[in-house]
Amino acid sequence: MSQPTDLIRIRQLTKTFGKVRALDGLDLTVRAGEVHGFLGPNGAGKSTTIRILLGLIRATGGQVELFGVDPWRQAARLHRRLAYVAGDVALWPGLTGGQCLDVLGATHGSVDQKRRERLIERFDLDPSKRIRDYSKGNRQKVALVAALAAEADLLILDEPTSGLDPLMEQAFQLCVRERRQAGVTVLLSSHRLGEVEALADRVSIIRRGRTVTTGSLADLRRHTRTSVHAVTAREPDGLASAQGVADYVCERRDGHVDTKFTIDVDHLDAMIGRLHAARIHTLTVTPPSLDALFLQAYGESLDDGPQTSDTLAEAGR
Amino acid sequence: MSGPDHAAGHRHDLGIMAAIIWRTHRRGILVWVIALAASMIGTAASVAGLYDTPAKIHTYAEAVTSGSALAAINGHVEGIDSLGGVIQDEFGFLASFLLPLLGIALIAGSTRREEQAGRLETILGGRIARHQPTVAALAVATAAILVTSALFAAGLTLCGVPVSGSILYSAALGALAFVFAGFAALLAQLVRHARGVYTWSLIALAVAYLVRGVGDTTTSWLTWLSPLGWAEKTAPFADQRWWVLAVPALAGLASGSTAVLLAAHRDLGNALLRGGTGPARASWLRQQPIGFAAWIHRPATAGWLAGGLLLTAMMGALARQFLDAIAGNAALGDAIGIRGSRQLDGFIAATQVYLAVIGAGYVIQAIGTLRTEEAEGRLETRLAGTLSRLRWLAAHGAVVTAGLVFIVVGSSAVLALSTAGSVGNTDEVSAVMTAGLDYLPAELVFAGLALAAFGLWPRGYGATWAAYAVSTFVAFLGPGLKLAHWILDLAPTTHVGNPPLATVDAANLAALAVLAIALALAGFIAFRRRDIPLA
Repeated sequence: MSQPTDLIRIRQLTKTFGKVRALDGLDLTVRAGEVHGFLGPNGAGKSTTIRILLGLIRATGGQVELFGVDPWRQAARLHRRLAYVAGDVALWPGLTGGQCLDVLGATHGSVDQKRRERLIERFDLDPSKRIRDYSKGNRQKVALVAALAAEADLLILDEPTSGLDPLMEQAFQLCVRERRQAGVTVLLSSHRLGEVEALADRVSIIRRGRTVTTGSLADLRRHTRTSVHAVTAREPDGLASAQGVADYVCERRDGHVDTKFTIDVDHLDAMIGRLHAARIHTLTVTPPSLDALFLQAYGESLDDGPQTSDTLAEAGR
Repeated sequence: MSGPDHAAGHRHDLGIMAAIIWRTHRRGILVWVIALAASMIGTAASVAGLYDTPAKIHTYAEAVTSGSALAAINGHVEGIDSLGGVIQDEFGFLASFLLPLLGIALIAGSTRREEQAGRLETILGGRIARHQPTVAALAVATAAILVTSALFAAGLTLCGVPVSGSILYSAALGALAFVFAGFAALLAQLVRHARGVYTWSLIALAVAYLVRGVGDTTTSWLTWLSPLGWAEKTAPFADQRWWVLAVPALAGLASGSTAVLLAAHRDLGNALLRGGTGPARASWLRQQPIGFAAWIHRPATAGWLAGGLLLTAMMGALARQFLDAIAGNAALGDAIGIRGSRQLDGFIAATQVYLAVIGAGYVIQAIGTLRTEEAEGRLETRLAGTLSRLRWLAAHGAVVTAGLVFIVVGSSAVLALSTAGSVGNTDEVSAVMTAGLDYLPAELVFAGLALAAFGLWPRGYGATWAAYAVSTFVAFLGPGLKLAHWILDLAPTTHVGNPPLATVDAANLAALAVLAIALALAGFIAFRRRDIPLA
């Protein structure tokens, strides 16, 4: 049985469409109160997973629990507690934005009308315009306002900002943080690594229907390498051969020693000691960005088959 | 680039555009062309088999021309005392709608629908010029119409109709389709959605049909104002006025050219007629599943109701003339399928069959809307909330059924009243209403079929339209063409038993109702179990 703190618990999920295996043993756990980033390249199975979570399509195999219950059996009842924004927002062209919000709201558990008004203002939406006259970004805003105004315990957002401009993306991030502070759990599927980095407590990276890795951003970074660029008075002793150091390049420049290398986070402390002994002039330490994690997770193995869950760690070494 | 090269490049791009349209729409085009040619040739062959002696043809001609009532429906056929004339008369009603629809469907699908979906933008991002998609759509539609006409002409000739008459009649029908293709191309520039193109061109078609009907019953110049009249005035089996073909050709070219000009000069995605803003809040009713379903089905309901009212008002108003015509010539009743001594009942029975076809068309289109909702992703949006699948489908089923009852009862009431006004007494009112209600189980069989297709095989929804087309063909022409029993039995309407002329077998109605419920149930169960959207 799942723990009460896990809102979503997926084990070894499989889904086949005819001969195509869209999901191939996917695992995903979303804990109460967290923003969970759900990452993967196009066609990795993100939307399929979300549709199964919503009870729109049926899993071929594996276990799926949403609020501790099988979503296929209890879809409508479970939806009382969640709000969803689809990746490809489809609304009724003949309705106005405001009418759409009300129609969508009618199928949510309940809607906070004050928040609805605030969100309309914040996203700069004209509710009397017809959907067919909205741009793609504005249609997406309608779906976002509807979901964020709902009194939900869980928000499922499938690439919610793909059509938004940077200003609106900021507004979106602010809203998600507010909801999180109010205790709402968020599953955020996204391509925008910056967005996930800014919002997510934990992330799961999937590829070809399988989970490649999962954990907090700090955890994931621990498995990857930090780049260091140091300018010191003299060459640091024994750094080139020190444990955990790689890509070591050292050259003399203008009377200083310019050193670049990458290092495991576990050996950071010892390395700083050696640099300190060589009298630091300037020091830049860059943790791996999510982009680097993302690329490492499947950039190096685009052509081969399913990956094991420790690929990321290996890629870091 | 020098002049001639430039022109050659232009022609080349046009060829590419036409190829794109053909590649993306060929299945629909082929279905239209083959189905239409097959039904026309099938009708011609059946008529040829039925009226195989000059004497039989003469009797038919005598019967049909003995009053102006039939002219209102099938048109005034010159040279009806010939095999070709009989075919033209038998096919008159269906041809008045099918050929314009061919032109409209070919154009609407490849112009405004593409633009509205944003696919045109992708294409115009390449080397294709703004006006070329319209030109190419018209070219592909014209080619499809020409092929249909050629097939029909060949079929008519094989059935024993004189060659020149066959060619002129087929050309006149092709020209009719061409006029409406040009008109639809123009509308596609004026309105923002493909649905608007259909709505307005069908309204224009209804007006053209009425004008032709009034013109033919009063034998006035009014007929010349209607594209349907132009086809008739070519008189393929009498005087053979070839020059009349120039009228639809010029009209089609004029509206087509205007469309091309507009396409070259307007903004992409824009329309000359556009809607404004609307209310910022949805009413309480619209927020309920039933109210929302009613809003979704409103356009289809209004359209088919308008068709039903138009038909019944016209038929009712002509009731007196029918009775007079039959009184003057007993063979007429036989020719148009009204048999027996109770002619008024026979007349109402014939009208009720038409109304049943309208009701069946409505349910198939309305339930088809659900498939559109799914295909465009809105069903997913709708079911992501607290609304369960079954409640959603039940709300739509209830609204469509209510809409059907509304159309049938409303149109039957109009038929009852207009007939009463025409014949001067109200004796038939209850018989008319009962007959309308008797057809409900048969119409609901179509609803059940549509629901079953939506639940079990949504991508094959087009098959329900094919079943509808076959049933319509059988219901309209089957008895007149004396088709085999097993073919007649294919149409659910056959089992109703032609009220009020013949007595209705309650057991048959019950069986139809049970079949409808079983099909609907299968649809519900399958829909509850399947993936949404179904891959």
